[in-house]
Amino acid sequence: MLRHRRLDWSTVVLLAPPLVFLLVIFAFPLGRIVWGSFFAPDFTLGAYERMVTVPVYGRVFWITLKISGLTTLLCVLLGYPAAYFLASVSARTRQALLLCVVIPFFLSVLVRNYVWMVLLQRTGLVNRALLDWGVIGQPLDLMYNEFGVLIAMVNMLLPYMIFPVLSALLAIPPELAPASASLGAGAARTFWRITLPLSLPGVAAGGLLVFIVALGFFITPALLGGPKQMMISNLIEFSVRQVLNWPFAFALANTLLVGTLVLYFVYVRALEGRLPKAGLP
Amino acid sequence: MTAAGWSGRRLRRRLARAALGALGGSVLAFLVVPVLSVIPMSFSSSMVFELVPTAPGLTQYRRFFASPEWMLALGRSVQVALGTTVVATALGTLAALGLVRVQSRWRSVLEAALISSRIVPSIVFAVAAYFVFSQVGLVGTVAGLVLAHSVLAFPFVVVLVSSALYGFDRSLEEASRSLGAGSIRTFFRITFPQIRLAVFGGALFAFNVSFDEVVVTLFISGVHSKTLPVKVWDAILYEITPILPAISTIIIVASILLLTPLLLYRRRS
Repeated sequence: MLRHRRLDWSTVVLLAPPLVFLLVIFAFPLGRIVWGSFFAPDFTLGAYERMVTVPVYGRVFWITLKISGLTTLLCVLLGYPAAYFLASVSARTRQALLLCVVIPFFLSVLVRNYVWMVLLQRTGLVNRALLDWGVIGQPLDLMYNEFGVLIAMVNMLLPYMIFPVLSALLAIPPELAPASASLGAGAARTFWRITLPLSLPGVAAGGLLVFIVALGFFITPALLGGPKQMMISNLIEFSVRQVLNWPFAFALANTLLVGTLVLYFVYVRALEGRLPKAGLP
Repeated sequence: MTAAGWSGRRLRRRLARAALGALGGSVLAFLVVPVLSVIPMSFSSSMVFELVPTAPGLTQYRRFFASPEWMLALGRSVQVALGTTVVATALGTLAALGLVRVQSRWRSVLEAALISSRIVPSIVFAVAAYFVFSQVGLVGTVAGLVLAHSVLAFPFVVVLVSSALYGFDRSLEEASRSLGAGSIRTFFRITFPQIRLAVFGGALFAFNVSFDEVVVTLFISGVHSKTLPVKVWDAILYEITPILPAISTIIIVASILLLTPLLLYRRRS
């Protein structure tokens, strides 16, 4: 195969339109808000100062981290057994079962949040079923609180956990388990000493990915959360659309952007080339 | 080992397997059952939500298709999604063709740049696009929506098409050129037939991304050019209407129809 050592003209011609497009429609607007967070129009750190000194905003950051962290934890706890189960069945069955993970992943996020609202509201299906079966006497508050946000976020982010863990589990050489058993280890011991340690990179990758995507969640806290579940994205929207405080919105957006990019850089560096890219399984 | 010990161990193994199957199966059900539960609800003709409609019918679908407002939003969504499909597929294919020609370490940098719009939180791009678009009069226009959606959709095309190109024997192109075919002719006669399916898949993805996009669209669609998801968003927040399960079902079915060819293609490759 012929190797192109230098950039030739045809490569430049091919790459120019998409790169110019990204530069104008994507990079420039992002650069504009980074700029706008510092210059309004003279250099000032006022917006950032407001962000860190006003306690209400500090709470929004804390809530964002807390909800993202809890979502990640729940995704590990639920995603690992699911991936382990998928790794334990035959390849044919796995192909079929993976549809349960793949299909919802590509369905409208808005519709999926709406469905959770229908299921979890006071007159929703979950409450009605529980009332009919006599499990509860009063409808439970399942949404407009942290529970509602968490259940929907876990539902939407689990695939980001299941895919990397599954690929890590499938990459474990199949002869290791019989080898471990022949040396006298039971199934539990084999799991704790062989399978779990070898699949931890997958857990780390999935966890980091879930956390990164969770940080920027907007629709779920807006629809299923209450005032106490306002996350950074919601505060950004509020600042732009309700109070029209652009410099403050820029400062928040810039903080979220930098946080996401730093974590994504860590993700790529730590797991270089071993696992699929964010959002693109 | 005694017989009793042996069967005890086997029983334990079986129980462990059953427990794993139950847990794994429940998680998979948790992923797929809730979203599908909206489908039976959509056939309700009453004003409250029912899992099993007492008088099933197509009332809500009729209301949707008879409503000029909803039809306007649907039309707008299809228009924007078609525009996005064209722009994102064209640009994404060009980018993929260029990307695989870059051999040095720059390739991974370039690849990261090309898919970066999937990593940036949508709210950040939404605010940025809103601010810049409003200064040049692109807010509330189909062109503005197509441009913004294309930014979000085109990484999918790049990834699909470039992975098809990596699996394709480049020496065929060299052979074509050495036989006197020009670059354009080589592309259409040799390269394109090899990546056709990936380009088509990318186009389907692009359509789906645009058709479902909410966050960026909320900011830049303006008052008069609301897409279907933005109208659904408004309806969720401001009015309680039993039409929503029917619309949700339409959106879900549209996505599944778009994805089916893609899943079949992935299985084949």
